Amino acid sequence: MKAAGLLIVILTGGLLIYATADFPPWAYPQSPASTHVSPRYIEKSIEETAVPNVVTAVLADYRGYDTMFETTVIFAAGVACFLLLRIRVEEGPEEQLFRHSLTGMTIRIKDGRKAPSDLEEFERIDAHWVPQDLIIKTVCRILIPFIQLFALYVIAFGHHSPGGGFQGGVILGASVIVLAMSHDLRSSLQRMGEKVNALLCAAGVLIYAGTGALCLAMGENFLDYGILAPLFRCDPVMARSNGIFMVEIGVGIAVMATMIRIYNNVSSAGRYDEGL
Amino acid sequence: MSQHYPVLLVTVPLLSAFLISISGWLNKRLCFPIAVAALASASFFSAGLLSKVIHKNVVLYRLGGWAPPWGIAYRVDYLNGLVLVVVSLVALINLISTYRSVEREFSEKLGAFYTLYVLFVTGLLGITVTGDAFNLYVLLEIASLTGYGLIAMGEEDRAPLASLNYVYMGTIGACFYLLGIGYLYIVTGSLNMADISAILPSLYQSRAVLSAFIICMVGVWLKMAFFPLHAWLPNAYTFAPSAASSLIAPLMTKVMVYVMLRLMLTVFTPDFVFSAIDINRSIVWLAVIAISMGAILALTARNLKKMLTYIIVAEVGYMVGGAWLGNRAGMTGAILHLVNDALMTLCVFLVVGNIVYRMKGHSFEDLRGLFRKMPFTMGAFAIGALSIIGVPPTCGFFSKWYLLWGGIQAGHYAFVAALLFSSLVNVVLFFRIFEIGYYESPTEAHGGGHSQGSIEEAPLSMLVPLYLVAVGLVVVGLYTGAIVNNVIRLAVPPGIV
Repeated sequence: MKAAGLLIVILTGGLLIYATADFPPWAYPQSPASTHVSPRYIEKSIEETAVPNVVTAVLADYRGYDTMFETTVIFAAGVACFLLLRIRVEEGPEEQLFRHSLTGMTIRIKDGRKAPSDLEEFERIDAHWVPQDLIIKTVCRILIPFIQLFALYVIAFGHHSPGGGFQGGVILGASVIVLAMSHDLRSSLQRMGEKVNALLCAAGVLIYAGTGALCLAMGENFLDYGILAPLFRCDPVMARSNGIFMVEIGVGIAVMATMIRIYNNVSSAGRYDEGL
Repeated sequence: MSQHYPVLLVTVPLLSAFLISISGWLNKRLCFPIAVAALASASFFSAGLLSKVIHKNVVLYRLGGWAPPWGIAYRVDYLNGLVLVVVSLVALINLISTYRSVEREFSEKLGAFYTLYVLFVTGLLGITVTGDAFNLYVLLEIASLTGYGLIAMGEEDRAPLASLNYVYMGTIGACFYLLGIGYLYIVTGSLNMADISAILPSLYQSRAVLSAFIICMVGVWLKMAFFPLHAWLPNAYTFAPSAASSLIAPLMTKVMVYVMLRLMLTVFTPDFVFSAIDINRSIVWLAVIAISMGAILALTARNLKKMLTYIIVAEVGYMVGGAWLGNRAGMTGAILHLVNDALMTLCVFLVVGNIVYRMKGHSFEDLRGLFRKMPFTMGAFAIGALSIIGVPPTCGFFSKWYLLWGGIQAGHYAFVAALLFSSLVNVVLFFRIFEIGYYESPTEAHGGGHSQGSIEEAPLSMLVPLYLVAVGLVVVGLYTGAIVNNVIRLAVPPGIV
């Protein structure tokens, strides 16, 4: 079996190398890839879409339809993760640990028993509890707002430099995941609950597809942002740029929420109780 | 309005999927009606498109208003117009028919289930309607990812592993397709199918084009489970929840056959596939092996659902073989069989769904005495079985007839023999099921306290759609002439005689 696998790999590799013989040379200016479609993107994108970053123009306008489905792929991954992993726990886990913050003592509550009601003194802790690290907690608390600010910058600045909805969304999601890791899953769930998160997932992709449908409703082809000019009170070329910004925001929200959703489901094995 | 049909066909289900996801959290009872509305409108748009193609001409659509090859274009012609109708109708009928079993199995997560269901159909419709080779890949990702998720929700212990296996194989298949498209982009600089096919003729001798073609083909064969690349299919489809298997089994492999036909007929053109490279007879030989092995493996199965999955493997061999015979009859047979097989597979998998709903199992032991217990379900099963065997006037006969005729014309008698062999094996397979269902009585352990003769039929909401499909098998069979003359004859390029 191993030998057969090796043979197949060698044959496939051979085929791939065999094909390279007829490729255009490296960095050849006359190669089909740099003479057929791409010159228009490079030369015309700024006058057609008013976006200085060619990559963003191709990604979100010329081939914006592909990107809508790429966002949908991420959304689908989040939904599949939820469908497969999420378990509804009726009474919470079998035992819960509470730490008395003044004395440092830990008490164990078996299933069904009453948990301490005085949450000022008693603090719920995870089963795999590491003593709280003051430095990590404090640093993360200070850092998170800046991470989020930077994420918003990356989303907004995708028009001019590397960045955009996908990258910014991941950073935004990471800020919440950092909170869950430095504190615990419950504190991050307090700030963004499961339902809000799931609704944001759908809302993000809905903003993207909805922008496309809006163009359709206003009488142009799907995702033809030019028609949105009256809404933005600008000329059709600038409307393309603004349309791209709208869908980038949608991508950012969807990616952020899906990142958090996948983290929550995987780290708590679908129980949403104790994280990593 | 009607000029927007191609994009509405895909985006209405897409938007509905998001709405379903939201209503799953706010009001679960809305999920199913939204899904039905989405797929019903998709069926309406696809029927509208097909009639537009028949009465006027090819339908083109520019997404974002950009002209191809710079933007993405949708292109509907006779070939994908027909496939679109089949995909949307099969998905709609299955959705309605499996309502009860989904309610029972996924009561907690209805929203997530229907979201993935509708997204899967969106992916398949997008694959079929698109005229852009890369857009096809993106939609393929959606259809695959949602498919993995749906399959993994099946039988507790085995479905996740079967799905994981499918993830590996499916990912390799999709990567191969992408790699092939990448090679084509390097040598042509374009991603639009029509544009690539216009540039390619001057490059027919290029080794890069040949490799791109082979890599794309292998990738697509992996996704359609063409023997010996079928290993992921039987377990994945057997252990999937019944609502998902009766959706995925009829559609996924057929749509991948469509992708193969599209690559052969439009992107690479018959000139290249049948003349410039001389491999078509060997591919038909591979199909011969696929058909025979599918039939033999089906004989070894001790479980109805698993037996049907091996029949799918054999049927994929029919279509690949027919397409690669390189003549008009074979190609017609392959396209007609694509339609028929989607309906036949839907019919028998819906029957399995009904049986599982009542009997909680699908092994041969569960089938004992079933003709008495579920007479209507088994009646529909008989029609589906006869169609798979290829008995007139069911539709299975006519496509098999075209395939046989194509094999004879091409002088490929091994293919003819394999078709006849597999039909004979199907006779054995299905009459064994009839025998178990008719003559064997349920054992005491199984029958339990129930009175032996009582009818425990599936609910009406499952039977009516099933009978719609079963009658459809005969109706499609009777109208084969109309379908072939008005659609398929024009879908096969004039170059193929």
